[in-house]
Amino acid sequence: MGMGLMSGSMIKVVIGPQHPALKEPERFIIEVEGEQVVQVTPRIGYVHRGIEKAMENRTYIQNLYLAERICGICSHAHTTCYVQAVEDLLSVEAPPRAKYIRTVIAELERIHSHLLWLGILAHEVGFDTFFMYVWRDREVIMDLLEEISGNRVNYAMNTIGGVRRDLDQEKISKILKGLEVIEEKAKKYIQMIQKEPTILKRTVGVGYLSSIDAVRYNAVGPLARASGVKRDVRKDDPYIAYDDISFNIVTRDEGDCFSRMMIRAEEILESINIVREALSKLPVGDISVKTRLVIPPSETVSRVEAPRGELIHYARSNGTDKPERYKIRAPTLANLKALCKMLTGIYLADVPVILAGIDPCFSCMDRMQIIDCEKKEKQSWTLDDLRRYAREWYQKH
Amino acid sequence: MVSETLIFLGQVLIFPGFLFIILLAFFAEWAVRKITGRIQNRLGPTYTGYMGILQPIADFIKLLRKEDITPTMADKIFFLIFPIMYFSLPLTAFSLIPMTEVQALTYFEGDLILLTFIFTIITAMVFLGGFSSGNIFSIVGGTRSATQLLGYEIPLVFTLLCPAIPAGSFSLTTIVEWQQNNSWIIWTQPLGFGIILTCMLAELELTPFDAPEAETEIVAGSITEFSGVKLALIRLGKNIKLVLASSLISALYLGGPEQLWILPPIMIFLIKVFVVLFLMVSLRAIFARFRIDQILAGMWKYLIPLAVTQFLLTKILWGW
Repeated sequence: MGMGLMSGSMIKVVIGPQHPALKEPERFIIEVEGEQVVQVTPRIGYVHRGIEKAMENRTYIQNLYLAERICGICSHAHTTCYVQAVEDLLSVEAPPRAKYIRTVIAELERIHSHLLWLGILAHEVGFDTFFMYVWRDREVIMDLLEEISGNRVNYAMNTIGGVRRDLDQEKISKILKGLEVIEEKAKKYIQMIQKEPTILKRTVGVGYLSSIDAVRYNAVGPLARASGVKRDVRKDDPYIAYDDISFNIVTRDEGDCFSRMMIRAEEILESINIVREALSKLPVGDISVKTRLVIPPSETVSRVEAPRGELIHYARSNGTDKPERYKIRAPTLANLKALCKMLTGIYLADVPVILAGIDPCFSCMDRMQIIDCEKKEKQSWTLDDLRRYAREWYQKH
Repeated sequence: MVSETLIFLGQVLIFPGFLFIILLAFFAEWAVRKITGRIQNRLGPTYTGYMGILQPIADFIKLLRKEDITPTMADKIFFLIFPIMYFSLPLTAFSLIPMTEVQALTYFEGDLILLTFIFTIITAMVFLGGFSSGNIFSIVGGTRSATQLLGYEIPLVFTLLCPAIPAGSFSLTTIVEWQQNNSWIIWTQPLGFGIILTCMLAELELTPFDAPEAETEIVAGSITEFSGVKLALIRLGKNIKLVLASSLISALYLGGPEQLWILPPIMIFLIKVFVVLFLMVSLRAIFARFRIDQILAGMWKYLIPLAVTQFLLTKILWGW
């Protein structure tokens, strides 16, 4: 199956499930004529881990650990979304200090995620030197996060009703110092992106997505903002401390890979300002409140702007200490349809750049959902459906 | 008579022949990795030997021990021939390059043409090697190699032949001799030096012209399916090609081997080779990869007119 199939001048290039451009297993069957892409068929579900079902079998406290591990890069976004949902079910509110600390971590996470993505895009266009430099500087943020939470990746800061660790003056001054370094570097990167001719050659006009298409295909996050759609949960439906903090939503109109690069670089600067403001306004008080562990029947939807875009968690409680139903919609899933649209009609050499351009995070996206890009159909399958499908498929093939 | 044959054999097999060149290729790989690493703010190899100098040899031995897999879809015979040719062609070409003295190991009127031919054959091999392995990434990589050849071959041939005009000979040895009696070609043809450096980057498939083996698009291009001994030979061949390209540039444009004070000619020559190597590696590290269509367009729009200009200028300067 890893081989390409040739028929006439059409070659089917199978990208994935294992491919160096994809850091996670996902499959795209790309039909090319010469170097031009004619059609793209995505096939998702390689890293389906049954997290939703697992969450329904565990208590709300245990689920914290599970939510943390949905995604390795935006772990804080997932737990924030999760605790927000559970706090809403319980009708409790985290103390203001906890909300501010959540904001600080969320923005630090956004910075490190965007830096990671900048590096990956540089690698996709073959500019390894830039990639090395960006990742070196990302370490500054990783060290800060380790300083604050004790962990580089899964920070485990959130708990139901607040956060688990406080920020003291020493940590705050360390964060501010680290931010200065990153600010200087980010400005330098913005200059480099704008001036380096080979980067411009590979990104300007590549993977164009018009603002109409961005809305039609439900693009979220930096992908939508790069196409001029002003869509950001932090402003549209403010959560944690975003109400009290003034910041701009960065948008650009080009709608190509270059503007996606610029959006992320500029969002780093914006995030730095948010962290600074949050730290200067940090209220005094408790960092968490005590909560019950049994939740009366209710349901809720919680939204968070993850580094990759809008993240939605849905929870339904039934009066026990476990959720009855839990549903996660990761931003990559929302962006996948826009991706298929962008990939059609381009050069094969641009595929990795565009693929990386949506900042895909497949393992947090994969659940049992089939999307048919051609028919624009969407259906959910139960395990039995899947078994039946598998049986039929193997009888046919 | 016997001793003469022995000396010649020694020259071919040991110094400055095969063994020396293979060791030089390993050293060049180490230098490339170290320089790239330092430019990218990394350490590069550090573990095996002093400053990791034995790392390429260790990698080579490791690959020799690995399983050698031939895919079922591959063309068996050509799949076997490709690594051998890819390794031996540049090694053969070295006998035409003057390294220890003004004369090369073998030389004849027109050996420059043979060198040009060998460079083209290597690329043709890459194309066929890609096709022979039957992998889709290899096929795309091989096609890209061949497509790229259409772009850089004409300026490359022009700039290879430009130094022959003042020397009045198609022999590399005569050109080196001429440079030592007069001046280095680079002073009279700096444009040609720039063009040949760019073309060699493309020939060696280094960034920004590494579309044929763009890792993130087509894995390793035409060599994706090779493993074990074959991959070891291909990697070594690639390093030899790297040294060959820098040697050729330093012989054609930088005066080749010459005695300077008490330093023997080979030392001077190696210094020149590594200067060229350093130039190429630095260029590689500071660019992003061009797309194949961009490479072709750029070559035809800028490099070919420039090469023709250089050719005409040389022709006018040195007379018909």
